[in-house]
Amino acid sequence: MPRILVIEDDSATAMAIEKQLRCNGHEVELAANGLAGLALACDSHFDAITLDRMLPGLDGLALVEALRERSIDVPVLMISALSDVDERIAGIRAGGDDYLVKPFSPPEMVARVEALIRRSGASTPDAVIRSGVIEMNLVRRTVLVEGKPLRLPTMEFKLLEFLLRHAGRTLSRKFIFEQVWGYYFDPGANLINVHIGRLRRKLDRPGHLPCIATVKGEGYRLEVF
Amino acid sequence: MRSSEFLRGASGDNVRRIGTSITFRLAVMLGGLFAIGLIVFGGLIYAMTSRELTARSDQILRQEAHLLLAEPAERLPDAIREEIARNMHGLNYFALVAADGELLQGNIPTFPGLKPGQAVDVDEAAGHGPMRLTAVTAATGETILLGRDTSEIHYLLHRLLVGMLLACLSVIVAGLLVGSFLSHGLLRRVHDLQMVSRRIALGHFEMRIATTGRGDEVDQIAASINAMVEDIERILSQVKTVTDSIAHDLRTPLTRVRNRLEDARAAGTELRSEDSIDDLIGDLSIVLDRFAALLRIAELEATERRAGFGTVHVADLLGTVCELYGPLAEDDGILLELHADNTLELQGDGNLLLEAISNLVDNAIKFARRRVWVDARVIAGCVTITVKDDGPGISEEECEAVLQRFYRAGGEAQRPGFGLGLSIVSAILHMHHFTLDLRPGRPGLIATITVPRDL
Repeated sequence: MPRILVIEDDSATAMAIEKQLRCNGHEVELAANGLAGLALACDSHFDAITLDRMLPGLDGLALVEALRERSIDVPVLMISALSDVDERIAGIRAGGDDYLVKPFSPPEMVARVEALIRRSGASTPDAVIRSGVIEMNLVRRTVLVEGKPLRLPTMEFKLLEFLLRHAGRTLSRKFIFEQVWGYYFDPGANLINVHIGRLRRKLDRPGHLPCIATVKGEGYRLEVF
Repeated sequence: MRSSEFLRGASGDNVRRIGTSITFRLAVMLGGLFAIGLIVFGGLIYAMTSRELTARSDQILRQEAHLLLAEPAERLPDAIREEIARNMHGLNYFALVAADGELLQGNIPTFPGLKPGQAVDVDEAAGHGPMRLTAVTAATGETILLGRDTSEIHYLLHRLLVGMLLACLSVIVAGLLVGSFLSHGLLRRVHDLQMVSRRIALGHFEMRIATTGRGDEVDQIAASINAMVEDIERILSQVKTVTDSIAHDLRTPLTRVRNRLEDARAAGTELRSEDSIDDLIGDLSIVLDRFAALLRIAELEATERRAGFGTVHVADLLGTVCELYGPLAEDDGILLELHADNTLELQGDGNLLLEAISNLVDNAIKFARRRVWVDARVIAGCVTITVKDDGPGISEEECEAVLQRFYRAGGEAQRPGFGLGLSIVSAILHMHHFTLDLRPGRPGLIATITVPRDL
């Protein structure tokens, strides 16, 4: 079970993060300030850390720098209320691995933490990902829906891979755009809707519920049937 | 107002202010310099005139002495008497003094200290006026004294001196008057400038500083301040528009959220319906998205971020945008056409430019009827990127207005995101020093990004 260290001074936010991570099968340790968080991170092994940008005692940027100076390369998700153009750059430069702006949707936070764990090699990447009737072979670059092959253009393949990796979780349009296309701006709701719509039409089977559900005001979720 | 009247009427404070003004000090300095020049020049003339007239007197005395010495010794007293008789108007004086110092003949007293050949100035005394006096020794051993009246020379030199002093005084007084007059004019304009500036600082941004139209230094300062005030007035007006728009755009969804929550409380029920919760989250998302967009614009406008700058291949950039938005256009039944010169490159932040052009293309697709054209080429030596649609377009007056935050073109109020998108585009391009031009395409709207030739 992956162990996550949550360093957050706001108790309500800390509890929300803890609850969400525990619901998704993670073991969670809490630290309410920077110094306590640094001490915990140095003393025990964690698979990932969620770190508030502004903390009493030791600032989030200074904390992640201190970790990297001690050669502790645990993946760090920085969470901040500060806007995300220059702050994202500062956070990443200091040694953070991903950056999430408050307010955030808890499932997206979990998705980001899991993506970090996967990227850091703590868990070996799968050659085949399955969810319900969909099976994706990342080596052969093939997709099977109910055993029938489905040809997808590159971007749709990447989009489906991302949805499969986070199956059952609601993902915001912005998060999808960042992770699949790699751009950090708001492309407008319609753009992601269209790309999701195209993929959805290819995946859906007559007489069945749609594979990709729209969560109003939040984003999309690949249903696990 | 005449200068004298002005000086009489000036209060002590005014005089102090004039005394410290640059114009006054310049005028006084120039006047002083001129007066010093005049003194040096006049002094030279005075000295040269005095020397020349004295030399002439000495010359005349030497000639007279020469004539007397040529007389036979026994005739010398008679010759002197004749000379005295000939000079009855008293211009020349003569005397014959024996070797023992006794005055033998003449109309001036003896001057025992005077050596032969020496010439001296003698002050006025009883029996003679001021004079130039010299002595020569006759063959008999007697001394001949010869004097020439210098009253006229003294009078001339005195007049010259008085004239010079008057001229100096006039120059100094004129300098003071001109300096005061000029300073008064300048101070009055500076005072006006201060008064208007104070009123502007109090919030009267409609006020402007009056200019004379002569284009002098004060006019130039006034023009600069007027331009600055105009900018401030425009920015404040935009801020007012933005504030009003924020009030509308953020308050509307927030009010809906509050009303729904209050309804739920009044009904004594919990928010069980998934639709209600979705609506609440949707409204709050709108608020957060707009807030994020506002912060992003403020950030782009406030900083000069060059870290992400590099060489951007224009055709690749536009290709990415079209690939991204192609499906969106296709779903709306719109043909997205790209024509880009494959050799074009520019210096910029690729990600930010992608965001800006994506915004323009997104807008074009939203408003187009059938087609959107994206085009990149060199026009007049400048890389020019054009996004054009065949939609309803907007009027020329609206083209300027749409770049302001929150502005929505008439009749399109319900289209989401339009209000801030172009402001973000504008901020990104401004950061790059590129220009964005919007003009009606009849049909549609033509958005043109121009990269200045020297970038």
